[in-house]
Amino acid sequence: MSLRDKRRVQSVKTRLRTTRNGVRDSLPSFPGVPYLYILPFYVLFALFMAFPVAYTFYLSFFRYHGRGSGYILEIDLFVVEAGVPRLSNLEFVGLANYQRLFGDALFLQSVENTIVVMLLQMPLMVLVSLLVALMLNAKFMQYSGYFRTAIALPVTANYVAYSAIFLVMFAENFGFINYMLGAAGLPTVPWRSDGFWAKASLAVALDWRWMGYNMLILFAGLQGIDRRLYEAAEIDGANRWEKFRYVTLPQLRPIMLFVIILSTIGSLQLFAEPMVITDGGPANQSITVVMYMYQEAFSRFNLGYASAITYALVVFVTILAYVQLKIGGE
Amino acid sequence: MSTTQSKDPLPVRFAVYIGLLVIVAITFVPLYWMIVAASLPQEEFFTLPPRLLPGTHFVENVQALEARFPYLRSVWNSVFVATVYTIISLFLCALAGFAFAKYEFAYREPLFYFILATLVLPVQIMVIPMYLLMAQLGLLDTHLALILPFLANPVGIFLMRQSMLSIPDSWLDAARIDGASEFQIFYRIALPAMKPMLAALAVILFISQWNMFLYPLVILESEELFTIPLAIERLTGHHRIYFDQIMAAATIAIIPMIVLFLWLQDHFVRGFTNSM
Repeated sequence: MSLRDKRRVQSVKTRLRTTRNGVRDSLPSFPGVPYLYILPFYVLFALFMAFPVAYTFYLSFFRYHGRGSGYILEIDLFVVEAGVPRLSNLEFVGLANYQRLFGDALFLQSVENTIVVMLLQMPLMVLVSLLVALMLNAKFMQYSGYFRTAIALPVTANYVAYSAIFLVMFAENFGFINYMLGAAGLPTVPWRSDGFWAKASLAVALDWRWMGYNMLILFAGLQGIDRRLYEAAEIDGANRWEKFRYVTLPQLRPIMLFVIILSTIGSLQLFAEPMVITDGGPANQSITVVMYMYQEAFSRFNLGYASAITYALVVFVTILAYVQLKIGGE
Repeated sequence: MSTTQSKDPLPVRFAVYIGLLVIVAITFVPLYWMIVAASLPQEEFFTLPPRLLPGTHFVENVQALEARFPYLRSVWNSVFVATVYTIISLFLCALAGFAFAKYEFAYREPLFYFILATLVLPVQIMVIPMYLLMAQLGLLDTHLALILPFLANPVGIFLMRQSMLSIPDSWLDAARIDGASEFQIFYRIALPAMKPMLAALAVILFISQWNMFLYPLVILESEELFTIPLAIERLTGHHRIYFDQIMAAATIAIIPMIVLFLWLQDHFVRGFTNSM
């Protein structure tokens, strides 16, 4: 360790110590002040997070017998009758909603669609954004900032707005993409009439929207790798591939994992894109889990069943993230 | 820098720059196509080969769109809701972040980790009861219902706390000796010192509200209250789809964000990478 590095470590240590002491030392002139400052969060949390999370779970054990009259559902959270609160129009059905999930062809279809879109989209996106980040991180790179800005541009696009662009670009008969494919002598693609290609069109749109975002995160990770590790590898005679294999990849692993888990969670919650680009079609071939939940809750008013779908999704997301963490973190 | 730096051969450098230019081109094509399509008259839209240069009909397309749907009203609604939300939420996040960073109090750690734990909850889980709750509160079909539930943002509190740790206690103590109240210390000393972080967080909060779709779709009914995502979704959902008008709408929705992005680039990049 050089003298300069030692000094840097020393200065970081001092900073950490003063910060930690600082927190311990500062006392308000009135002891209730910090509680007052954090109170809004907990009030809002109780009302708009804790309650809904619990109530969705609760609803998933009921069947709703009321109607939706147009827009407003005829349901009260609680009805007080003779001083006793009871739920309106709700019949307790135990685990029936969850049992129904496994025999519901449309639900299973929506799960399959969601997973297929994810498998089509994520590997390509992670690979390309890693490649781009590596290129931007090359020693000789001179215009890294400009390239990063240009490539990250799609992150500004509103989900529905960019979906609308792809809706138009993927139009089968006069769409821009099919025209370009034809002009290049390639066969045109049935984006809207074929189940697989409908899912592929969602994957293309998602890759476009999120590639730059993941590139930024991976680039930040690459910048954080200690240059000395590469120098040491060079001294040991490592070639380009070996440096990538034995230095970059292991160092980048936590960030790769972060990107993959976030993309997984995002894919499983897909809603705006299938709604706008494919409208779930053809024949429900691209309907996603969240879309199905939305339809059950707000078109068919099966609130209990929709709640069960929601919880199935949450459990699914949690398990998948956990598995990825286990595999990736060893 | 080490002296043993190995030079990459020229073909490698060349290939890297070409590769990046290809990616940039792919990034730009949909945006360029959007602008072309938004500025063509309806009859030229369907010609083959498609036009590759922008036309001059953008204003006409916006007027035609406006005649069918109050779209500019939606743009205003989005700007209004996102701005109000950002300002209030920024204040609440900074307030809580300041308390967690600078005050010693009982149960501080568990209370803070609890906030972090709430990060994992997805919005879908809240949509149905939130609809029912808003109905009970008489807030269905109001902008307030879009703002209220998301004001306390766990990410925001976390980021504000992290950056407020760097405020020296001596500043706070000096202010107390000068007779400042606790709130004055927060408002006059902590907030101004946090400007870069506040800007980055403002970007995160604004974008999160700007992008919101599923929840407003459930809450809002009146077209004149629609935000941009709902308006565009409604435009694409008709039997007869007016592609040129949809592209004009998408252009209006995206261009301001791109300008903002280029202007506030550093904050944006910080904001995006922080928001996870």
